[in-house]
Amino acid sequence: MSFLAPLFLIGTLAVALPVIFHLVRRSSKEQIPFSSLMFLQPAPPRVTKRSRLEHLLLLLLRCLVVCLLALGFSRPFFQRPMTASPLSEETGRKVVVLVDTSASMKREGLWSEALGQAEAALKQTGPGDQVAVLTFDRRVRTLVSFEQWNQMDIGQRATLTLARISDLKPNWSSTQLGSALIAAAEAFADADKEGRSIGRRQIILISDMQEGSRLDGLQGYEWPRGIEVQVEAVQPKRPTNAGVQWLAANDDSANAGTNLVTRIRVSNSANATREQFKLHWADAPSAAPLDVYVPPGQSRIVPAPTLPPDTVGEQLVLTGDDDDFDNTVYVLQPKAEHINIIFAGDEPENDSAQPFFYLKRAFQPTARQIVEVEARTSAAELPPADLADARLLVVADHLSDSRMDAVQKFMTGGGTVLFVMKNTAAADDIGRLAGTNGFAADEVTPPNYALFGMIDFNHPLFAPFADARFNDFTKIHFWKYRRVDAAKLPGARVLAKFDSGDPAVLEIPRGNGRLLVLTSGWEPADSQLAVSSKFVPLLYSTLDLSGGIHTTLAQFHIDDEVNLAGLMPGVTTSAISVKKPDGTMVQLAAGETRFSDTDRPGIYSVTTLQPPIRFAVNLDGAESRTAMLPGDELQRLGVPMKAREVALSTQVEQKRRLHDAELEDRQKLWRWLTLTALVVLLGETFVAGWLTRRTAVQTGAQS
Amino acid sequence: MSRVAVPFESSPAAQSADSRPLIDPATLMSIKNLELRARVVVEGFWHGMHRSPYHGFSVEFTEYRQYSPGDDPRYLDWKLYARSDRYYIKKFEDETNLRCHLMLDQSRSMSYGSLSYTKAQYANTLAATLAYFLSMQGDAVGLLTFDERIRDYLPARHRPGHLRNLMIRLEQPAAGNATDLSAPLHRIVQTVKKRSLLVLISDLLGPIGALEKDLTALAACGHEVILFHLLDPAELTLSFEKAVMFRDVETGRQIFIDPVTARKGYVQKLEAHNQNIQAACSRLGIGYRRLTTDQPLEFALFDFLRERMQRGKRIRRRAR
Repeated sequence: MSFLAPLFLIGTLAVALPVIFHLVRRSSKEQIPFSSLMFLQPAPPRVTKRSRLEHLLLLLLRCLVVCLLALGFSRPFFQRPMTASPLSEETGRKVVVLVDTSASMKREGLWSEALGQAEAALKQTGPGDQVAVLTFDRRVRTLVSFEQWNQMDIGQRATLTLARISDLKPNWSSTQLGSALIAAAEAFADADKEGRSIGRRQIILISDMQEGSRLDGLQGYEWPRGIEVQVEAVQPKRPTNAGVQWLAANDDSANAGTNLVTRIRVSNSANATREQFKLHWADAPSAAPLDVYVPPGQSRIVPAPTLPPDTVGEQLVLTGDDDDFDNTVYVLQPKAEHINIIFAGDEPENDSAQPFFYLKRAFQPTARQIVEVEARTSAAELPPADLADARLLVVADHLSDSRMDAVQKFMTGGGTVLFVMKNTAAADDIGRLAGTNGFAADEVTPPNYALFGMIDFNHPLFAPFADARFNDFTKIHFWKYRRVDAAKLPGARVLAKFDSGDPAVLEIPRGNGRLLVLTSGWEPADSQLAVSSKFVPLLYSTLDLSGGIHTTLAQFHIDDEVNLAGLMPGVTTSAISVKKPDGTMVQLAAGETRFSDTDRPGIYSVTTLQPPIRFAVNLDGAESRTAMLPGDELQRLGVPMKAREVALSTQVEQKRRLHDAELEDRQKLWRWLTLTALVVLLGETFVAGWLTRRTAVQTGAQS
Repeated sequence: MSRVAVPFESSPAAQSADSRPLIDPATLMSIKNLELRARVVVEGFWHGMHRSPYHGFSVEFTEYRQYSPGDDPRYLDWKLYARSDRYYIKKFEDETNLRCHLMLDQSRSMSYGSLSYTKAQYANTLAATLAYFLSMQGDAVGLLTFDERIRDYLPARHRPGHLRNLMIRLEQPAAGNATDLSAPLHRIVQTVKKRSLLVLISDLLGPIGALEKDLTALAACGHEVILFHLLDPAELTLSFEKAVMFRDVETGRQIFIDPVTARKGYVQKLEAHNQNIQAACSRLGIGYRRLTTDQPLEFALFDFLRERMQRGKRIRRRAR
């Protein structure tokens, strides 16, 4: 027999009470008053007689009632073997352990705590469980898949997996928690596809749950049914963490030649206990450090400490907080790029009736690029060296034979030539450049004016205007233009047409380069183009099309993919090698221009070019937001949370208790015991009454 | 001198044999009214007295005394004046009417009783009987109840309503803790100047030294004293069987007593105590009578009258 509440058995000790009462009542009952005790001497009590219990039957009944009640309250039941092993239901449980390896886990004590949590999670797994271990930062990596787990020796699974987790170290990457959770959920789906039994599915998330974790992936994701997430958050010992970011000046608004102000954003975590920090150049110790005051949960944008003249600073360090993983930022000041445009035409520079006047003024120098437009009159030659430096060649006049050759070479070598038809005579030159003879054009003067009737916004030239806010070209009136037959030019593509259907802008690919033909001029005699707001953007778009403007972004974040082609002037076909901040060299395959090995902060340099191209890779600013996420953030996004998992032994104990409770509930022995107690109580009442009556009768008889 | 004639000189036991049956105390005590109880006893006794051959006398002439100014002229013997032309005053015995003071112990020990009534009830009935009897004879009766101090005092008078008042006082329950004779004694000495009869009814359960001292003082003040020593039959024999806790009704003290073993010593001590009291009484000239509460009350009345008569004889002898 077993008991559901064995503590109530202590109640059987109450058996002592009836015994005591029987003794106590006996002595208290036998007391008689007497007028005076002056002639009496106290006699010692006769022990043997006093300690003898009277009414043994009554006592026995009372003790029985107490025992029965205590027994009933302890809920006894007859034990039967459990129909199923408590562990059997646990077979098939699937667990994905998701370990955060982002940069914020580099904080003091977090990683060791995370390892401890992982160990605890693995120890809780039963022999029937399947476990996969995924790590995540910006990317999700599978450390141990379900398949690998199943292949391991059952006794060694947890140990081997733990050994693999112990080899991990947090890296410098940002935290994409949302996509990691989705990947973990999909890991279940993949395993389920393999036809394994579907048991309870659970994700154990071991992370610092920092505020900067990106959860946007979960926004539109429908979380699969039956997958619970148990968060094992690790907490830093000291909460203050300030981060530093470089706000790279990507705009061109500053004047050329002036130094750009380096702006730094210093942010402080919401749970910080300190607010005073210092900012200094690590590689320029002579520069005075800057005091920064940032209240918790806020950020301040400050200019970088002023550098002494002729000193270069590239590494800016913040001090004063508890963790320094995000306290260094690498800064590269961009250098202005010189871009040459050659104008081939005989036009005086100050003649506002000619196209060159407008072209010269369209490109204003900026901090990032200085565009120089040089005119080459027909008197001068076009030396190949000139053209080699040029990004764009604008032709507005008739080309001599020698010039024609040079332009042809420039074009086939990858250059872009913009031909502005000032008159119908230019058609011959265009024909020759396009590789056809006898190409002619007619002068058209529309009754009022002509407009752009059709524009191919898919072409890179007009793509910047594709937005509805910018695609209105109706303000540009063309007073006259030259009608050409695009079909006669091999490979010609009409990028814009007049409202009459005649081509306005043509593109003819030639070799590696291209020829762009504008059938009207932009000077006031031909059109309003030069004075319209579209003129300068259109020219920049043309320059961009010719590869003249490079990506000026010089800052990347960890794990960003860097398109080196955008950083390099011109095209290179040789293999590129990149030197990482720690000195290791990464060789890219020939023709490959995308570099994705940005795994640590620092300054990278492409060494195959002279001078080498450098770019800075910094930590993602979100990693500095180390305060904890709100507790219900995941639930708000539809992720079902689970309370902390109890130990396996506790689960078994709970199951056994449940089984016992069910057995007891079915047998209900306590009812019988209580009933018996009531019956005995009735019997006791009867016996007690009988004894009292008998005593009364005897007393009466004696008196 | 009292006008009470001594009805017979035989013992109470002998008297009960040839006279009508005496009233059983238990039956008597079942009468709730105290006055009625007293009347039942006295009237039964009165009938017996009329049957006696020795009854019948009235105010008794003692002597003549020459008149002196200030004497009450009502008592002048005018016939003698006519004969002798001298003023003489007639003196009678009944000038000195009996003043009886009943001194009743109401200590808590008196509330003990192994029968259906207590010693206090018995004592009250006895006192009421005596008071009724004396009152019927025209004597003044007073009452003084006491325990360790005086509870109540009613001076001796003979007037309508006095007996009724006395009966009411008697019905007060016993409340005191101990028996102390000295306080009522002082009161009697202070208030009763004339020589009178003091009837003390008590169980006298107290230290013999103190009791003897009190009795001595009582006798020394010149009054005629009769002592009724009341005891319960159970007190005399300790007639209990079981070994139990005995509780003293006066002090509340509890001791465990096995009556079988304690009885012999108890009876001896009690008897010695009683002997001492009796000896002291005879030494002091106090009429002593021990009564157990199962004895008929008439015995007490017989004893009272006998005591009075013997004393009257003694006094008459002394007077001659």
